[in-house]
Amino acid sequence: MFYRPGIISFASFGKIAICTLLAACFAFPQTNGGAIAGKVTDQDGATVSGASLQAKNLSTGTTYKATSSASGDYKFEGLPVGSYQISFPALGLGAPPQNVEVQAGQTSRLDLHARDNSLNTLGEDRSFFASIAAPHLTPKGPAPRTQEGRPDLSGVWWSTRIVAREEASMLPWAAAKVKDWAASNFKDIPSARCLPSGVAFLHYFGLNKLIQTPTLLLNVGEMDVAASRQVFLDGRGHPKDMDPTWMGHSVGKWEGDTLIVDTIGFNGKSWIADTIPAAAAFPSTEKLHLTSRFRRPDLGHLEMDVTFDDPGTFTKPWTMKTVADLALGEELQEYICTENNQDAEHLVGK
Amino acid sequence: MKTKMSFLIAGLLLSATAASAHHAFNAEYDAAKSMQWVGTVTKVEWTNPHARFYIDVKDANGSVTNWNFELGSPLVLRRQGWTRDSLKEGDQITVEGYPAKDGAKLASAKKITLADGRTVFGGLSSDTKPNY
Repeated sequence: MFYRPGIISFASFGKIAICTLLAACFAFPQTNGGAIAGKVTDQDGATVSGASLQAKNLSTGTTYKATSSASGDYKFEGLPVGSYQISFPALGLGAPPQNVEVQAGQTSRLDLHARDNSLNTLGEDRSFFASIAAPHLTPKGPAPRTQEGRPDLSGVWWSTRIVAREEASMLPWAAAKVKDWAASNFKDIPSARCLPSGVAFLHYFGLNKLIQTPTLLLNVGEMDVAASRQVFLDGRGHPKDMDPTWMGHSVGKWEGDTLIVDTIGFNGKSWIADTIPAAAAFPSTEKLHLTSRFRRPDLGHLEMDVTFDDPGTFTKPWTMKTVADLALGEELQEYICTENNQDAEHLVGK
Repeated sequence: MKTKMSFLIAGLLLSATAASAHHAFNAEYDAAKSMQWVGTVTKVEWTNPHARFYIDVKDANGSVTNWNFELGSPLVLRRQGWTRDSLKEGDQITVEGYPAKDGAKLASAKKITLADGRTVFGGLSSDTKPNY
């Protein structure tokens, strides 16, 4: 997580520049290894917390991970002596890696100046994205139950937060596609043209309002053109001759207190962009099959684990774990995307 | 969902410029070219997918150009305490932001300051606690 003041988002860092590289060191307790430490700041001089860093040993190829703290400080400890390449592995997008030497018993200092080229629009800037990625205050208490004794998932929920996700292994064509997308700064993302922004049942942006009956789970999403999604709980299966659609067809069944939702029938036009703001986007095909597991462990939280199985895109299925916080006192607002969408004609990419 | 799965902790996967409610910032605006405009508000559009405002900017020769500035969606602006009246026609303002890459008189607003020094649409600064 990353917070104001001086936060920087999970979004892209187009250019990473090293401000200072000080070989001067601090005492280090271990004699058989060294450390690398420093501070991450952005182009405005604000400290950057929650930034993921990687140190790669240039001799062995071993990689080490670190994350900048609330004050922007990071530290790799216990590194074998040698040359290391420091990079922002996932922030990437052209960020030049930097090399630094690690000496026994010493901490090499490397301050990093990161340029965040994205999400600077007032109202939807990086601090906003940080705020929706952070947990909200929620009421305490047990999950409500329906008359049938099932957990009741109904409620207005903040957008999903990613708790963890597996790495997605793409087929070559899909990896090439994502590379093309990145090269053009994701100018063709469907949402920019008021098309659906993802495939998961709960949206990663805007509120989700769930309404549960014994035979139906309905999600009214606030900020996505695929505003309503329904899961049939009446025991029906998928239609045999359905036309592929952006959001597919969903049926669900209860296993204990977990609702398992099966979704197929996608049209392959969607970007799997549901992992934002821990961002990554993937193409999809008509083979996409989602398995979503919903739990309401208590009054204030809704868990959705989604397994993305698309043998046309990925070498194996992968799963993302998310949680949404109950949005007490909130209501959905209107989002008519085509009302004044001036952006599409100006999305030049590079 | 078994324990053998190696989950990456969220936050270690921060990549795409796709991280946007609507469109990718970098695809439209040049964040490397921060600019400042001084002018008079001629119109405010409290619309989706982005609220917008327009200002007349006078250059040294006295010729006036109307610039179009993008803000977040009204639904996120509202939750941050802003209203459709936060910025009004006739306001004299200074805007900091990023111009469109295609050369249009279009920009993304990063900071708006009124003539008396007050900041409008201050964003989620430390003194503007967000609802989120």
